[in-house]
Amino acid sequence: MARLRYADAISSALREEMLADDRVFIAGEEVGQYLGTLGVTSGFLKEFGPMRVVDTPISEVGILGLGIGSAMAGLRPVCEMMRMDFAMVAYDQVINHAAKIRYMFGGQFKVPMVIRGPSGVGRQLSAQHSQSLEVLFAHVPGLKVVVPATPADMKGLLKTAMRDDNPVIVMEALRLYFEKPDVLDAILPGLSEVPDDPDFTVPFGQANVLRVGTDVTLIGYSTMTIQCLKAANILAQEGISAEVVDLRTLLPLDMATPIASIKKTHRAVVVQEQWGLYGCAAEISAQIAERAFHDLDAPVQRVTGAFVPMPYARNLENISFPSEHDIVIAAKRTLGR
Amino acid sequence: MAKKPTLDLTKYVRFYEQMVYIREFEELIGKEWNNAAAHGMGGYMHLYSGEEAIAVGLIGGMDLSAGDCFIGHYRDHGYALAAGSDPGEVMAEICGKATGCSKGKGGSMHICDAARGFYGGYGIVGGNVPIALGLGWALKYRNQKNVCACFFGDGSMNQGAFHETLNMAQLYKVPVIFALENNGYAMGTSIERSHANQNLRSRVDSFAMRSVTINGQDIFEVHEQMSQIIQEMKEDPHPVFVEFKTYRYHGHGAADTPVTQSTYRTRDEVARAKEEKDPIKFAQAKLIDAGVLTNEMIADIQARAYASAEAAMKFSDESPYPDPSELIKDVYA
Ligand SMILES: Cc1ncc(C[n+]2csc(CCOP(=O)(O)OP(=O)(O)O)c2C)c(N)n1
Ligand SMILES: [Mg+2]
Repeated sequence: MARLRYADAISSALREEMLADDRVFIAGEEVGQYLGTLGVTSGFLKEFGPMRVVDTPISEVGILGLGIGSAMAGLRPVCEMMRMDFAMVAYDQVINHAAKIRYMFGGQFKVPMVIRGPSGVGRQLSAQHSQSLEVLFAHVPGLKVVVPATPADMKGLLKTAMRDDNPVIVMEALRLYFEKPDVLDAILPGLSEVPDDPDFTVPFGQANVLRVGTDVTLIGYSTMTIQCLKAANILAQEGISAEVVDLRTLLPLDMATPIASIKKTHRAVVVQEQWGLYGCAAEISAQIAERAFHDLDAPVQRVTGAFVPMPYARNLENISFPSEHDIVIAAKRTLGR
Repeated sequence: MAKKPTLDLTKYVRFYEQMVYIREFEELIGKEWNNAAAHGMGGYMHLYSGEEAIAVGLIGGMDLSAGDCFIGHYRDHGYALAAGSDPGEVMAEICGKATGCSKGKGGSMHICDAARGFYGGYGIVGGNVPIALGLGWALKYRNQKNVCACFFGDGSMNQGAFHETLNMAQLYKVPVIFALENNGYAMGTSIERSHANQNLRSRVDSFAMRSVTINGQDIFEVHEQMSQIIQEMKEDPHPVFVEFKTYRYHGHGAADTPVTQSTYRTRDEVARAKEEKDPIKFAQAKLIDAGVLTNEMIADIQARAYASAEAAMKFSDESPYPDPSELIKDVYA
């Protein structure tokens, strides 16, 4: 076991897969000579050369087109978006093209590519650089959407994404990138641990119970899984035993794990970093209502970000996305406390 | 171009002063970045030092009170100051304060000043360029004798949006100045490594658009040429592409440290640009030569500029953060 930061887990997954499969290449802005905007591809250009670590102009449409076409032709591209917000410039390539090609041509082609990059609220990056847009991708058949919360899942899911035969969107949480192993392990012992085995992967569609509890189920993904763990720690001090379920992937979505948990706790809180309206938490709540209505002792609670573009001012930013305290309040509400 | 009129040198002393004000403002932010959190600053922070003559000379050639307007990208503090926006309000925005020009909600990348025709700074590379088409269209639609300037960087020219926009602007003959601030780099990527055709001006030839290249370090050239062009655009609406050659002194943003900068440019290159291409030094020398600027005036301007930046920071520091109730306001009109 190594204790890694989330960013290190990304680097190590990318590097191992590039070593293992020479069809894999990375394309994006500042991935090579600049050593990566956030350093995850540091040293890659030197190690793998310019055909496999491709520095691109600021041309997201071109980057994704390069990925889709070369994937159809048998390569396994990893397209880095400097921030996932910038994928919106090339949304057409993802939604109207990458997601459709398999089906539209009756299974003749496949598009084994990864589109990855940092996502979500950061440090006062405001409206155009703070979004968690996974719902826009998770809405679309033909895509897969990965939302890792822990360094081990980051590594294991990214490796699975790179081996998958479909377009996979990997939403990397900017706020978790450089979180120190000590900080993570203080939230939950072992949270920063990543297996050394180069064949370690994490399968898609398997949610993970990160903390066992009996009174209420907290369901999160990405940054919100960490918030749920912090909330569970606070709840424990007040004598409330919370179970934390980390979804890991939104598409495919494993509902069996959260529902098994709810059958035990009879209460659920679903947490999502950004806008709740029509969001992932809404989908999960609906599925709980459909499949476990009679197991519930209280209405499912959603905790989501404020329905506003991200503000810049630090005090406003801080109240625009769910805190562990918001989750604690929602959990208590399911318990009538 | 018509015969050069004699220069109104007092105007250039004012421009010189504006450039010094912008420089001091940006340098103070750069210095205070060590204390960013205490001031409320965060995010990327893109500074304009080295490029001042473009905003000052071009915006100085527009008549904002009569309806001329402009739009920019995220390296936007200098545009607002050149337009005469209140430095305190700009600084307060950069620090996320309630008194900021965007009420603390936009931050450094999203300065605006509706009263002065500044339609804002935008953070998506190339995203502001299509909007300029619409701003220009509205001017033409209302038969206004006005122009719109659109500032963007060399990186924007590799976005599809740029090329769609220029084609339409020429097709509809909208009065937009597409003002390319070619500082040689898009973040850590040089022109050589990102443009197949490195003659950026020639990239717009295919749209049959009028274009010109201007030394963006020479306030006289920027202003004289742009004033002439603006006048012609007002008489006969049409778009113009202007390549300003310039240089950025600081890293791309605050995260682009000396270490990351060393992956794409040498300290020597930066030092040389500061020595040989500085727009302020250039203007200073010419104005001294012309006998309209003295060493005492220079010292006085420098002192006032510094005091203005400090006063802006003080105004910001004494301003409150936005009230939490602001969070949900202004989502809709
Ligand atoms: C669509 C998009 N892709 C990437 C980025 C990240 N980014 C912000 S500024 C920048 C460099 C832009 O350089 P340039 O246009 O030359 O302007 P300069 O910063 O040199 O003034 C990059 C890559 C972005 N903001 N938007
Ligand atoms: Mg540039």
